[in-house]
Formats: sequence, C-alpha cells, structure tokens
Amino acid sequence: MNTFDLLMLGFSEAMTPANLGFCLIGALLGTLIGVLPGIGPTATIAVLLPITFFLPPLAGIIMLAGIYYGAQYGGSTTAILVNLPGEASAVVTTLDGYQMAQQGRAGAALAVAALGSFFAGTVATFGIAIAGPMLSSFALDFGPAEYVSLMLFGLLAATILASGPVLKAIGMILIGLLFGMVGTDQATGAERLTFGSIDLFDGIEFTVIAIGLFGFTEIITNLERSGSEGVKVAPLTRLWPTREDFRRAWPAVLRGTGIGTFLGILPGGGATLASFSSYSLEKKVSKNPRAFGHGAVEGVAAPEAANNAAAQSSFIPLLTLGIPSNNMMAMMLSAFMIHGITPGPTVLTNQPEIFWGLVASMWIGNLLLVVINLPLIGLWVRLLTVPYRLLYPAILLFCCVGIYSINNRIFDVLLAAGFGLLGYIFRKAKCEPGPLLLGFVLGPLLEANLRRALLISQGDASVFIERPISLTMLIATVVLLALMILPSFRKKREEAFQEEEA
Amino acid sequence: MSGPGASKKGDLPDLLTAAIFIGFGALGLWLSRNLDGGTLSQMGAGYLPRAVSIILIVLGAAIGLKATRSASQPIEGLKLRPLLIITLSVIGFAYLAEHAGFVLASFWLVVAGTLADPGSRLRTTLLLAAGLTAFGALVFVKGLGVQIDLWPF
Repeated sequence: MNTFDLLMLGFSEAMTPANLGFCLIGALLGTLIGVLPGIGPTATIAVLLPITFFLPPLAGIIMLAGIYYGAQYGGSTTAILVNLPGEASAVVTTLDGYQMAQQGRAGAALAVAALGSFFAGTVATFGIAIAGPMLSSFALDFGPAEYVSLMLFGLLAATILASGPVLKAIGMILIGLLFGMVGTDQATGAERLTFGSIDLFDGIEFTVIAIGLFGFTEIITNLERSGSEGVKVAPLTRLWPTREDFRRAWPAVLRGTGIGTFLGILPGGGATLASFSSYSLEKKVSKNPRAFGHGAVEGVAAPEAANNAAAQSSFIPLLTLGIPSNNMMAMMLSAFMIHGITPGPTVLTNQPEIFWGLVASMWIGNLLLVVINLPLIGLWVRLLTVPYRLLYPAILLFCCVGIYSINNRIFDVLLAAGFGLLGYIFRKAKCEPGPLLLGFVLGPLLEANLRRALLISQGDASVFIERPISLTMLIATVVLLALMILPSFRKKREEAFQEEEA
Repeated sequence: MSGPGASKKGDLPDLLTAAIFIGFGALGLWLSRNLDGGTLSQMGAGYLPRAVSIILIVLGAAIGLKATRSASQPIEGLKLRPLLIITLSVIGFAYLAEHAGFVLASFWLVVAGTLADPGSRLRTTLLLAAGLTAFGALVFVKGLGVQIDLWPF
C-alpha cells in the first residue's frame, strides 16, 4: 500500500462515529484545560490514562492526543484575552496577543492564532505521515546497541533542551531509572528495591507516579499560591483579521511551522521550546522589531503555529522509534502500553490502522478545534471565572478513582499520595519532575537493551562504537554535552529560559 | 561539572536537591546490597541499580558542594496546610473506599479536601461533595464499571 492508501485507511478509521466522538471529546477537554490555568495537559492526561483502559486502543489514544494539541489552542485563548497563559507554551503569546486585545483587535488575534495553528497542525500531520514510514523502516535495522545509544541520546538531549539546571535534570532521570527498576527483574526474576513488599513485586504503575507527581503536587502548590484575583476579560471584537494582518501573519506562520515541526521531533523539544524559539526568530527577521510587545501580529502567529506544529511532530519519535521525547509523550507511551501495544516500527507494519488512524484523527482534531474555538470563545472565557476551589476537589476525586481503577488496589492510591509528597519536595528543591518520568519509562527498555547488547558482544563495550548508527548517536550525545560546557551556548540557554520564567 | 543556572541558584533548594539525590542513591545501594551484580556480559539484577545509585550520590555531592558556596537562597512559600490536608484526605479516601464504599469515601475526600482552601464555605462544600459523589458513582462505578462498592453494607 502506498502512503495515499494508508492515509485513506487512517481516515476511514478516524471517521468512525466512535473515534470521531473521542477525538471531539479530547479536543474539547484539551481546550477546556488549556483555558483553565492551574490544570495542565500532563496532569489531565495522567488522570485520564486509567479511563482509556476501558476504551478500544485507538479511541483512547485519539482522545489523549486531542487533549494535548487541544490544550495548545485553549492556552492561547486566555493568553490573548486575559493575559493569562493557560499553558506554558502560550506564555509568549501573551506578549503581543494581549496587546492586540487591548487595542481592540482581540478577534483578529484569536483568528490568526487559530488559523495559524490549524495550518501548522496540517503541515505537521503530513510531516508525520511522510516521516513516519521512512524513519521506522530505518529503525527496523536497529539492534540493541543502537537502541541503547538512541535512548542515551534521547535522555540527555531531553534534559539539555528542557528547562532548569542540567545536573538536576540528570539526577531526576536517574531517580526515574531507579523507580523503573522496582519490582521483579525481567531478566533474572529477582525482586529488586521492593522493601520486601508484595505490593511492589509488579513494579510501580506509571499512572501512580504521574498522578502523584503532577496531579496531587499541582493541586497542593496551586493551593499554596491561592488568592486568584478577578479576571479582566478584554472585549471581543469582530473575528476576521484585516488583509494587512493576513499579509504579515502568513510568512510568520510558515516560519513558525517550520521551527515547530523541527523542534518537536528533537528529544526534549516540544511545544514550549518551539513557541519561544519562533518568537525570537520573528523578532530577529522583522524589519520593525520594536513593534514586538506592542501588538505585532507576527508575534502571535509564529509562536502559535510553532507550538501546535511541535505538539504534533513530537509524536514522530514515539510512533516510529518507540522513544518518547518529552513527558507528554511518556504519557502517550504508557497509554499504548496499557493496551499491550509497544510503539515503534513494528506498529506501522503490524497495526497500520493505529498509526494512520491517529495521524488522520490529528488532522480532523485540528479542524474541529478551529470550528469549536472560534464560535465558542465566549463560553471558554466565561469558564475562566469558575474559581479553583470548586475545581480542585473534582480533580482530586478523578485522580483517586483513576488510580484505584487501574488495579483495583488501595495500595496504589496510598503510593500516589506518597508521590504527591515527593513531588512537593521536588518543587521546593526546584527540580523538574518531567525527566524523572522519562527515565522511569525508558529505564526498563534501556536496561533490557543494554543487557542484550553486552550479552551478544560478550561484555565488550566497544560494540557501541563499532556500529555506525550507534556511533553517530553517541557522538551526538558527546557533542551536546560539550555544548553545555561551552560558555556561550550556556549563556544563550540560560537567557532563553529566563525569558520563559519572566 | 557545573550545570548552567547552578551558579545563580542558591543555597537551600540546591542543598535539598543534594539531600534528595544522595538519599535516593543511598537507599538504592542499601536495597540492592543483596542482589547479584553479575558481570558486564551477564548483568545481574543488582548491576544497574548499584551503578545508577552511585552516579546519583556523586551528582548529589557535586550539587551539594556547589550549593554551600553559592549565594544563599531560601526555599519559597512553605505552607503545610494544603500539603497535609490534601495528603491526608487522599489517604483517608483510600481506607474509606476499601472499608466503607465509594459514597462515603468520595464525600470525605471532597469535604476534607476543601479544607485545604481557607476560603471554603460549608454550604458550597456540601453541595459540591454531593454533586461530585453522585457524578462519580454514576460515571465511574456504574458507567465505567470501576470495581468499588458504593455502600458499606
């Protein structure tokens, strides 16, 4: 079958009423949590993971994916209208989007953001459709040594591109690896790190860690901060941008899409990094950089296109190589695993309907988002006025029921409470929990492949540098590490993240 | 071995990080003390846990050493109320769900959980608890078939 036939297969899968419905639910939920500050897509997906267990595999994955890219849309709505980024990736949108709204051009900003995102989403979806089969046929040649190098590269690159001090991030990965080792060792059958508790023999459930570290901790820290002032909503005006807006936004959208698609593929990339990079690029190429921060339409168009493109293209490494590139993708990986599907090159050949159905649903989801978002903006904005104290008990309940439902075990709920506590300590120590999740998910894979590679080579570690693909990956890892030590790059990176924190 | 940002980040958060890393590393070493290490070609169950724990300890020590020398920085916004109440309400939910059924557990979770927010009012809380419990019972227990008793009897 050629790509076209496969895409058609994908659309026929994605267009079944049930899958269409879950796509819509995902997109709506994503927009909702994108609009509501204090609830992020990571926590939401963590909470909903157990529920996908009750759904057919494709439907569950379609829904979770919808939440992820839907959140990018919703986050920008509040960024523009109330200067409140619903998601980290929408922080830069506040700079010019809110200014536009203040000048009475809120409608234009929203429309540019939505249309730009739709365009970017379309391009990135096609990117997946084209790159997916290519990369995965390449990955079929991978042996254990290649996978070890790829995972090392992925883990290290993820820490370097993600925010925060690198040493801490590496430490968090290591802690994640340790958590991943809890339970019965796959190779020898020995019990490891279990404190002798039978409840831990099967290891720690991913959802338990995810809900503990993201769900519970987020609630606790939000409550600490409490005291949300009243929200001032900028008046809504006519939606359609002027021709001038279009003329200026168009090239910005193109550039944003390019950057976003590229950065999304890189480990540790993803929506936030993409939107920041594209904003600074726009500022650089603009003839009138001083307009930025005062309602430049490019400053809305480019980051919005970029974050949406990146949200989609970050699926590429997961779907083709089975390697999640950020913590959102770690969630998606475990959503696949719940159904016994291991993402990677074999899914494309054995279960093409899963891959292509997801790709097709992403495009449909993006279309739905434009349709949902533009007319319903008034409704979303009104949701902003729902106080957090009414929301968090609901989230708390969903978290608890969700964890319990995985194994019908009270122990898991208690364990998650413990992880909530741990997550709180991490926050106070200013350690990002994201890398921990990556380490946890990749740990068992890394260990299995490392063992296999060294068993085949009879303990000779040179196997990793004798194979060309593996060597390339290791060199890339070393180069990345070297870059970190170079002062100029370090400064750049610090600046980039300072902007993010501001 | 100095990460970016480490130079600016000060005292306490980094010292706490060091304590966490060294603590987990030590715990990992202690727990894997009886595991078979094996050789590089035949890795035992203890090989990687030990390796990871040792790197973690080294990393923690490096961060800690640096932290003692850099400018002081406090740990921000420690408030015990939300932390304790949320944790306790979840633990309470766990026990109640097992022994007293979903309805009581959910009611407890919402009511106890809202205490974490000083601005909560009893009336809204009770209404919220009733609404969420009904929703949860219908959607999760009846609808999705989560294996949990509704009532203690």
